[in-house]
Amino acid sequence: MIAKELKEEVYKCIKCGICLTPCPVYNLLRFEGASPRGRVQLIKKILEGKTELSENFQSLLFTCLLCETCTANCPSGLKTDRLMKAMRAEIQERLGPEWQKRTLGNFLGDKRRLPFFLFCERTRESLLSSPEGKSDLLADFEFPRPGCKALRQQVPEVNPAPEAKGKVLYFTGCATNYFYPDVGKSVIKVLNRLGMEVILPRGQMCCGLPLFQAGGRKKALKNIRENLKLFNRKDVDAVVVDCAACGAALKKEYAHILEEMGEDATPAKELAKKVVDISQILARTDLEKWLKPVPQRVTYHDPCRLGRSQGVKEEPRNLLRRIPGLELVEMAGAETCCGGGAALPWEHPELASGISRNKVQSIRETRATVVASGCPWCRRQIGENLDQDSIRVLHPVELIAEALGDT
Amino acid sequence: MLSPDVLLKFISIVGPERCRTSREDLLAYSYDAYVNEFLPDAVLLPKNTAEVAEIMKVASAQNVFVTPRGAGSGLGSGSLAKQGGVVLTFSMMNRIVEINTANRYAVVEPGVVIGEFQRAVEKLNLFYPPDPGSANVATMGGSVVMNAGGMRGVKYGVTRDYVLGLEVVLPSGEVMQTGAVTAKDVTGYDLTRLICGSEGTLALVTKVIVRLLPKPKTKRTLQAIYNRLDEAGNTVARIIEAGIIPATLELMDKTIIKSLEDFLHLGLPLDAAAVLLIDVDGEPETVEKQANRVAEFCKSQGARDVRVSQSEKENEQLWVARRAAFGAIARVRPTCIIEDATVPVSLLASAIKKILEVGERNRVQIAVLAHAGDGNLHPFFLCDHRDKEEMARVERAMDELVDYAMSVGGTLSGEHGIGIAKSKYLPRQLSPASLNLMRGIKKTFDPQGILNPGSFLEHRA
Repeated sequence: MIAKELKEEVYKCIKCGICLTPCPVYNLLRFEGASPRGRVQLIKKILEGKTELSENFQSLLFTCLLCETCTANCPSGLKTDRLMKAMRAEIQERLGPEWQKRTLGNFLGDKRRLPFFLFCERTRESLLSSPEGKSDLLADFEFPRPGCKALRQQVPEVNPAPEAKGKVLYFTGCATNYFYPDVGKSVIKVLNRLGMEVILPRGQMCCGLPLFQAGGRKKALKNIRENLKLFNRKDVDAVVVDCAACGAALKKEYAHILEEMGEDATPAKELAKKVVDISQILARTDLEKWLKPVPQRVTYHDPCRLGRSQGVKEEPRNLLRRIPGLELVEMAGAETCCGGGAALPWEHPELASGISRNKVQSIRETRATVVASGCPWCRRQIGENLDQDSIRVLHPVELIAEALGDT
Repeated sequence: MLSPDVLLKFISIVGPERCRTSREDLLAYSYDAYVNEFLPDAVLLPKNTAEVAEIMKVASAQNVFVTPRGAGSGLGSGSLAKQGGVVLTFSMMNRIVEINTANRYAVVEPGVVIGEFQRAVEKLNLFYPPDPGSANVATMGGSVVMNAGGMRGVKYGVTRDYVLGLEVVLPSGEVMQTGAVTAKDVTGYDLTRLICGSEGTLALVTKVIVRLLPKPKTKRTLQAIYNRLDEAGNTVARIIEAGIIPATLELMDKTIIKSLEDFLHLGLPLDAAAVLLIDVDGEPETVEKQANRVAEFCKSQGARDVRVSQSEKENEQLWVARRAAFGAIARVRPTCIIEDATVPVSLLASAIKKILEVGERNRVQIAVLAHAGDGNLHPFFLCDHRDKEEMARVERAMDELVDYAMSVGGTLSGEHGIGIAKSKYLPRQLSPASLNLMRGIKKTFDPQGILNPGSFLEHRA
């Protein structure tokens, strides 16, 4: 059931339409049902019992990127994204998840099965294949090739720093752990250099965001509880994340979900106080003295989950500006979603790459050699759509690690 | 209900993707920014004039009602299928066809969003002045058929003053050109200006030619802050009387200020009774002088403080705020009915007083916004449409306000149009002769009455 306070949200929509023009999905599809206003009005009709939850509605609801642009622009302060997420959960409850999503859920929800699943995806023997062939859920989805060894297999649980000045927990997230272990190594290297002991608690699970964005809140509860138990530690200074999506989950979504499900959200709120994006924790340090020049022209893309969900916009930019020799150029519409949000590349691959086209165009216009972005899903989506270009997509922390050199 | 046969014909024109009939799609086109809702039987999304013409040929042959729609930001159900039939929406006809810098005109398709068009021409140092509050939502086509006004009306006039010509599809399906790209054109009746403001009852606009101005070199935004609402109203009358013509002259009362501040946190004065938001634009030296003069003027009329914005970004933020006023007011109550009666500007202060009186008498919360410079009031009636008793009081208050506006030589609607929101008041302003003539014009364009049925002309008391 949708929480009572969210139900009232629909009456905040005065139908002014300010959310239409900035919505990347509406901009491409150009019909009202695919706009935030349209979806909110449909949700209102459903809540008022004036229309049924239908498959057609479900498909409209899942054309949304959950990029939060509408929420940020709504003059009356309607929390559109929260309403959409709650509605997705409601749909899962009432209509039952599509089986592929359920399968995906089973794997992302289990720490032993996930690497196996990814291994299978890599070998193209998809577990989501049906007898008729590969499932359409993942047919057009190019998984990034997981590294041979996951980050948490490559590095020890505790990474001490000489003359340690502090201790942090590092929530690696699945993407860094399995796909981009170099990002993780950069995080550890930079934090170690700054005198911080970095602990990667064994047993950490997927943050659950892909699950609950797809509506699988109940499924995600296990992940949430497990992670809260592991990371709510009094003896550490911070919980560091390098992934925008995991950060948004730990800082905001956990508490929202628990509250809306009528569970105790106190541990989630406790944890949220300690969670910092890697760019935030580095902003407080005097890195400069260590940094060697990195002569690159870099443009920065704001991940929705970092810029809008967490309000972290300046820190990554300032971090990049501190690297000598690095030239930071702003692209047009840096805050616009790249099209990689909320599993859209799986659900509607053409729509997602249509949205990416504008992003890629803005990137090319900057003539940058590197796009920096602290979100693996943006990285995947942008990287894929840059295709022929020689522009590299990197996490800002990788550039910092590069500037630190080998020593 | 449309027969399957008719639907197949529409599908053969636009394809199944752009002929939408699912329950969800119909619901999503059942509303605009006003309170009433009407469910269409189908939604068509044509991509070009030829498709629109084909649609109208089918519609006229089969007697199908067609209601045109831009972005659905209207405030009077003008773009809703009030008697069923098809909603024809122009959201996919959204190309800027041409911006002609040599002759300073542009040709656009109807679905282009006004704000996007403004930004496109401003990049070329040109300027399209019509600027309704909803410019970032509303479309060029919508603003033409509604003859939208907006915030720059006081200096630059309204949409009608910029439309040079149109391409339209008549209800019969014939395509017709009106006007020309030249600034002067007295060839025949002025059908361009007749269709402009016709609320989509005469023809479907498929292209718009507008004239452009050179972009003013500088702009300065002032905020004059008042402890008393009537002093703000008086200042407006005095400014106009003194022959100062600012580019915009907007009045916001404390309720509006508070909801905007809640939204954007710009540091608006929460303890003020009213703020005048004033733009002056033009050559840098003139702007400087005029800004000072306006500031002095406001102070002499009781403004406790006048703030001058220091940067383009600050200007921009203030106008983002002003544009959000309608949406932001939903923070106070879920439903907002905007009146837009317009009075001679010298009466602005007494009109505001009257609004407050009417609100008090009917126990209706009213927030006051105004395109003050041209006497265009926007009292926001704040209510909850789920409360029938309250809505009855709102209606009574509106009646009284209309009576007042009529009694002082004002007009029913300055810029939002009549739609169904104000059709019952129409005979108070238009004589039987005038109404008959209008109905005759309608009949000439649309003998079958298939275009936007149920609109303002059809209301009979």
